Amino acid sequence: MNNNESELNRRDFLKKGTSLATMMALMGGIELRADDAKPVDSAEPELTKIPDLPRLNFGIIGMGAQGRAIADTLAGFPQAKEENGPHLIAICDNYKRQLTRNAEAAPKAQQYDDYKQLLANKDIQAVVVTTPTHLHKEIAVAALAAGKHVFCEVPLAHTVEDAKDIARAARDSVRYFQCGLQERSHPQRAFLLPFVRSGSAGKSVMARAQWHNKQSWRKPSSNPQREKEINWRLDKKISPGLAGEIGIHQLDSISWFWKARPQAVTGFGSIVLWSDGRDVPDTMQAVLEFPEGANLLYDATLCSSFDADYEMFYGGDASIMIRENKAWMFKEVDAPLLGWEVYARKDQFYKETGVALVANATKQTAIGTKATEDSAYPFTALHYSLENFILNASAVTAAIDDYVQLYGDSDQKAMAQQVQQAKQSAFKQHPAAHWQDGLEATVVALKTNEAVNNNTRIKFENEWFEI
Amino acid sequence: MNIRILLTTLVLTSALVSHADDANHYQSQPAGNKVRIEGTSTAHDWEMQGTLIGGSIDFDPAVQFDTAQATIPGLKDKKLAIKSQVIIPVRSVKSDAKAMPQVMESLMQDALNSKAFPKIECHVTELTFKEPHAAGKPFDFDASGELAIAGKTNKVTFPVSIDVPEKDKLKITGTAPVKMTDYGIKPPAPSFGLGLMRTGDEVKIIFEWTVAKTK
Repeated sequence: MNNNESELNRRDFLKKGTSLATMMALMGGIELRADDAKPVDSAEPELTKIPDLPRLNFGIIGMGAQGRAIADTLAGFPQAKEENGPHLIAICDNYKRQLTRNAEAAPKAQQYDDYKQLLANKDIQAVVVTTPTHLHKEIAVAALAAGKHVFCEVPLAHTVEDAKDIARAARDSVRYFQCGLQERSHPQRAFLLPFVRSGSAGKSVMARAQWHNKQSWRKPSSNPQREKEINWRLDKKISPGLAGEIGIHQLDSISWFWKARPQAVTGFGSIVLWSDGRDVPDTMQAVLEFPEGANLLYDATLCSSFDADYEMFYGGDASIMIRENKAWMFKEVDAPLLGWEVYARKDQFYKETGVALVANATKQTAIGTKATEDSAYPFTALHYSLENFILNASAVTAAIDDYVQLYGDSDQKAMAQQVQQAKQSAFKQHPAAHWQDGLEATVVALKTNEAVNNNTRIKFENEWFEI
Repeated sequence: MNIRILLTTLVLTSALVSHADDANHYQSQPAGNKVRIEGTSTAHDWEMQGTLIGGSIDFDPAVQFDTAQATIPGLKDKKLAIKSQVIIPVRSVKSDAKAMPQVMESLMQDALNSKAFPKIECHVTELTFKEPHAAGKPFDFDASGELAIAGKTNKVTFPVSIDVPEKDKLKITGTAPVKMTDYGIKPPAPSFGLGLMRTGDEVKIIFEWTVAKTK
């Protein structure tokens, strides 16, 4: 997802002018933080602890805005300055000026304009695929075949078939594959997940999510051919649209939290502001029908930044709002008392009071600390996602090395079975989105985009999700 | 060719061929291995598990395992002299704790100084047969040898059973009790939110090891 190139960014405005927390405090809410519901005998969550990271040599293929963001995030790891931790040793883009422009983000990295040459570099252990979506398949599959661990941005592909090909290659590889559903690695989401699934908010009623950002998505270039290439998002034939490029993260959050796959989607799309010859809607709405009648209403637009982005889970006893990696719970007056929320921090949201769902909320109240506007989580979702990628890829490397040392590498099937156990253990310890999550989310997003493009209703077929 | 040289060559060749034919070498197999380390603590019992065991075992050529028989050919004074090497990579042993298993793994890897000593290694040199043996059941032994953990080696004796799940394959199961302090390991006492937790000195290494005959 490349969403950090907005011309008019409401988030920046909010951060500079009035903070989100201040705005929310004016409205009222109980913030959901990770310490409140943790078992009393568990260890303190080490949210700000910098873990020991093993060395992992990276190559990034695709140095557009997201490639640059990943390069910056890798460089921002405190461990990157040491021998261990992530080391970006190669960058690749088929447009040389893109490499030159981004050289400062990776001054020590070798530059390639052919991804095959990068994959031939034996010193590279992990590859990040952050090219335009329709180019993911060839590169991701080749990277796995070259024995690299792969971090592939989402959507996995612009077609269901290509996404399946990537998923198959990831499933059959002994190497580690993670897709760019970053929120799956964020500790705030990990805390909220059991909260939602345990039924603390009562029976699920419905969900709402939105992404509002005023930006054209169009990038200028003096070269007509280049202009066409870089504006692939505006070409209906290859663009996953707003639902795919942006919505996939939010649609995935709802499916993930509800542990359910939508049964059908109805979409509406139109070009209401950016009538510049594009054929991809700049505004969309969709209703995704989930089992038991709890539906998701989703909308996204490039034409208005008002109210930015958030996800809401409406439950019979309480509703939960997630905004910028903060979360609040709004209880119904007839809801049973959970207990801890009495002591939790509360913020005012217009006429409602929200309980903070976030780490240390009760502790802050107990020691008399004022509600802080800073997030309990000091890093971005991308940072946590890459951190878990490094830890899990290294665990898989260790499992492969141990296996080969004990038994050799002649029985690839037996090796794959052993490494599979290491992968399961790794995903459990350091949560991340694997190929199956990526395929599920990609199919939902692509079909939502199809429904939006055609203003129609599509029923999801099980075979779209199977490989 | 000198007749003496020819005869010597023939005898040596024959001896080599005979040795190759009689080899009784079993090699670790990638599937069918389990390691479980069980311990105690002031809070609750804990365990960790792995599926990697490497190494090999050599028996005297006369030794054959047939669980239908009451005894084993090749026993001398109820003992089998063997050559064996058993390897367990420390980092392959994982915690299946529901909450933060990585904490447990990190404690163990630190305690065992796994960066300097990445393997638990055992060399069993003698198996003492425990009679009587019931037909169809595994053979029971006391295994004696040396166990190396965290860079320190001690002599050990622990019970093992040898079963024959299929031709030319052995499943060796056993439990080796270990005192951490015998290996210079201070039982971990991690500091958690509600105070100090201390792990017990005694742990058990329980294993199930599958080896197959190779030439």
